Amino acid sequence: MNPISGGRTARWTTYIIAFLITALIFATAFYASNYFNNQRIADIRATQDDISTDIISLETQFDLLQEHSCADVAENTILPSEMTSLGDQLSYMEAQGSSSQDEVTRLKRLYSILEIKDYLLMQQLAAKCNLKPVFILYFYSNKGDCTNCEKQGYALTSLSQTYPELRVYSFDYNLDVGALQTLVSIDAVGNKLPAVVINGKVYYGYQTVQDIEKILPQLSTLKIATSTAATSTKK
Amino acid sequence: MADGIVMYIFLFISLYFEVFMLVSFLRRRPTTALTSSDQATAHDPKVAIVVPCFNESTTLAATIDSLLALDYPHDKLEIIVVDDGSKDDTLAVARTYETDSRVRVFHKENGGKHTAMNYALARTDADLIGCLDADSIVTSGALRTVTPIFENPKVAAVTPGIHIKRPENLLQHMQDAEYRLGLFVRFTLASLGSAYITPGPFSIFRTNIVRQTGGWRHGHSTEDLEMALRMQEAGYMIANAPNAIVYTGTPRTLRALFRQRVRWSYGFLRNGADYRHMFANKKYGNLGLIILPTALLSIGIAVYFFVHLVVSLLQTGMHQITRFEILGFEFHPSFNTFYINTSALWFIVIASVSIVVGLISVGTYIGTGKRRPPMGTVLFILFYSMIAPLWLGTAAVRAVFKTGVRWR
Repeated sequence: MNPISGGRTARWTTYIIAFLITALIFATAFYASNYFNNQRIADIRATQDDISTDIISLETQFDLLQEHSCADVAENTILPSEMTSLGDQLSYMEAQGSSSQDEVTRLKRLYSILEIKDYLLMQQLAAKCNLKPVFILYFYSNKGDCTNCEKQGYALTSLSQTYPELRVYSFDYNLDVGALQTLVSIDAVGNKLPAVVINGKVYYGYQTVQDIEKILPQLSTLKIATSTAATSTKK
Repeated sequence: MADGIVMYIFLFISLYFEVFMLVSFLRRRPTTALTSSDQATAHDPKVAIVVPCFNESTTLAATIDSLLALDYPHDKLEIIVVDDGSKDDTLAVARTYETDSRVRVFHKENGGKHTAMNYALARTDADLIGCLDADSIVTSGALRTVTPIFENPKVAAVTPGIHIKRPENLLQHMQDAEYRLGLFVRFTLASLGSAYITPGPFSIFRTNIVRQTGGWRHGHSTEDLEMALRMQEAGYMIANAPNAIVYTGTPRTLRALFRQRVRWSYGFLRNGADYRHMFANKKYGNLGLIILPTALLSIGIAVYFFVHLVVSLLQTGMHQITRFEILGFEFHPSFNTFYINTSALWFIVIASVSIVVGLISVGTYIGTGKRRPPMGTVLFILFYSMIAPLWLGTAAVRAVFKTGVRWR
């Protein structure tokens, strides 16, 4: 390329063109990010709608129980993994700190209600159909005031992986949902998080996998995941 | 929240500067391009090329050989080798060339590169004076490309197209990509009248202007930067001739690279402080309004993002350790598009990196006529983004405490 030397007098049009292009890139980035966030929220909402429909259907089946066998109803229960997957997606969206946090909070509140409904329904099914589901209610906070919540979350994930039939219901203690606050009152869960409720008793502070296995002997009645079982054998 | 705003402001500034440089390149005025095709000028000016050297016995011969091979009238070219108090065989190697009438060899007490240049300046009557570091090799047509540019009386200096000598290791391949970016930057800065460095390898100056402005100065161990700022301050033009190709040696080790870059960055900061009246000063046009302020700000921005990255990596590492302690090693090859990072920050970083790759490609085109970026490009972007803030930060701290820096 030929040699070059230019005057240093500023050409304002270059400054303006560069500004417009940069602003356009920024606007596109924010638009694209917002678009994908909305897609995710739509995915979550669709999953929640499905779960919601399933729960209503299950409740209806339950009401009509005299006309159905317990086996029919039990077959249609929500799988714990479906709930966990939805919870993971909501946690991810929350951690991303995107611009649609209000929407994420709304979805999270609905998720908590669905969890409570599933929990109540499973209890009723257990009573009437002689099922033996195993529950853990887990209360956490992500306001930065719960140092062991992260560890507790991992411990419960580990248990869920070992026992796929275990139903772990995670609740954000600070979430403003009437049903959740009622659940907190019923189980008398204090603000000393993390807290897990097992068989109606509240345990505060970090509970290891071994601790939980000790206080929840019913776990031994659940099937063990094959891949995790292999890992456990190594231990 | 406030931190997020600061981050986006810094990103905007960085991206704006990249776009500004690209737009400036595309909008360069055709009239500012100086043709070098008409090289049969009315008269060839007399040129002195100074080779200042300090313990350069292993590379000096190749440097002088390349100068002797320059396509330029013998009676118009003098090669002044100034041995700046070397402890090795540099002087003996230089003396073997004294049989050529174009070569003069001097020995002096060690005083630094600027003293060697001034030593030669005092002993030449050449119209143009240049420097060629003793680790560099010039191509035969380089001088012929440069001299016609001085027919424009406003031009005080011409910088060359600097390439690196045969990249051998990974670090040098990364520097290869960096130097291609340098080709673009030097060319575009010249088109904006805003070059603020006249690099050691084969920058050529108008001798009387160098004398008028006071010769070479120590310039905080970056005399090439100080000289360019001084010429800009005096209102002269610094042109760029990318076809005047010179190959220069580059650090082979990380330690040597780090040391070199701390010196460069320290030199920029200290000279920037000396010439602070030029910053944000409309009188100096593009140089004062955008080039110097952004160059300064980019140091702070690089350090800021580096600290952010380190904190973020540490936090992620801590989470992973906690997770590993409880869950053990997990490998889930499943892929869920839900978890692909689609934050605006990520898109902007991708845009910014893409533009940098584009600029390296343009630099490659300017310097070689080809468009494909060199193989070290990806590593350069990844590695430099991690390591450059370290030398920038080190230089900034040393500049605040005025510690001084040494060449070696």
